[in-house]
Amino acid sequence: MSERVLQILIQAFPKILIPCIKVTIPLTICSFILGLILALFLAIVQIANIRGLKQFARFYIWIFRGTPLLVQLFIVFFGLPSLGIMLDAFPSAVIAFSLNLAAYNAEVIRSAILAVPAGQTEAALMVGLSYPQLMAKIVLPQAGRIAFPPLFNSLIGLTKDTSLASSITLIEMFSVAQQVAARYYEPFALYCEAAVIYLLICTLLTWLQATVEKKLTWVKPVETEEENAQNITD
Amino acid sequence: MLEVKNLHKSFDKNEVLRGVDFKVEKGEVIAVLGSSGSGKTTLLRCISFLEKSDQGEIIFDDFRKEITKVTNKEIRGLRMKMGFVFQGYHLFRNKTALENVMIGQTVARKIPSTEAKATALQMLEKVGMLNRANYYPDQLSGGQQQRVAIARAMATNPEVILFDEPTSALDPELTGEVLDVMKKLAKEGTTMVVVTHEMGFAQEVANHVVYMEGGIVVEEGTSKEIFTNPKDERTRRFLRRTLSDYDYSI
Repeated sequence: MSERVLQILIQAFPKILIPCIKVTIPLTICSFILGLILALFLAIVQIANIRGLKQFARFYIWIFRGTPLLVQLFIVFFGLPSLGIMLDAFPSAVIAFSLNLAAYNAEVIRSAILAVPAGQTEAALMVGLSYPQLMAKIVLPQAGRIAFPPLFNSLIGLTKDTSLASSITLIEMFSVAQQVAARYYEPFALYCEAAVIYLLICTLLTWLQATVEKKLTWVKPVETEEENAQNITD
Repeated sequence: MLEVKNLHKSFDKNEVLRGVDFKVEKGEVIAVLGSSGSGKTTLLRCISFLEKSDQGEIIFDDFRKEITKVTNKEIRGLRMKMGFVFQGYHLFRNKTALENVMIGQTVARKIPSTEAKATALQMLEKVGMLNRANYYPDQLSGGQQQRVAIARAMATNPEVILFDEPTSALDPELTGEVLDVMKKLAKEGTTMVVVTHEMGFAQEVANHVVYMEGGIVVEEGTSKEIFTNPKDERTRRFLRRTLSDYDYSI
């Protein structure tokens, strides 16, 4: 690698990193959280078989899984203004990403809820819990554990998909890399640099997933008989 | 105390219950016998509204209604007075043994947690599981899980506990520990309905025995009547078959 390219890479690093911290990461977090809330809603109305809402959820999932994310982004940012709805690039991106993600995660959450043995629901009903109570205390905590790895999958996917927002004029990490690449005419090195930063974030997320997953088991830590006795009498 | 009359239930075209009359009095231990497919489990599940009945009447204390017309709110009220022990235990896997026994009190009945815990520990002691109070279900054997499930069913102080083949999923060695707990409850005067294949338990512990076949109650009577002098030919045939099996196993 020539001295010049190295120099460019070093100079470009903070330039790319700042929009990563200021835009890419907040965009990912906002979209993921909103998408998750919507996904939970879409999953529960299907499981609880609420008439009307269930059909709406199926229709919604059909639309948002069946059309490209990039097209959805363009519709929100370039298309809605013709209906009189003008939004900045950032909120447009959050809306498109979260709506899209919700469709996929709704299916993840729905299958996780169905994976919790139905016998526990019956047992919960028989000890007198209401449906919302048993959902909150028994089913959703266990479904959350089951859904955790695939949900993290989609979080990692989203982190990289946010680069698509560069196409709706959002100044995020990848669009900055594009600008720098164009200015110095070193596309290979600079795009690789951007890729490495994405990779670093995802590495961090992968580590986080493994760490949290280890804690998400329902197993009592080993303790002595005395500690056990102590815990009981507490 | 608890009674169903003329209970009917079909799954698609398969008629599982064809007009069952069934009655439980306070303090009784009723064993419901019958071969697989006789409808005995479905009977318990209809009484507890885990299955929707097609026709019949339910009477529980002073509550009396056509069973298909019972509202969801009424169902919850009736369930509050029942306990249910499943063949597959169905402990809540995200809760410790103690939490499993407490949740019906704290969440469903809003009993303060200190009081609920005291009751729960008492129940766990009764089933011999006090030293596993803080273990999660995955760390317990089948017999231990079923004993916790029995404690869970008792903790809400129900008027009747329904047992649906509580030992059928257990190894022979583990069956004994669960049956011992059930015997103890019976001695204390707990009202119990036990769907079972354990002829020894029925003979020894139950004071009333119901024999079902083909979706109807063929014969019922005291344990002594049924086991020593069955009147119906079908009951006799069933007892000959199962009791001889029972002899072989010794």
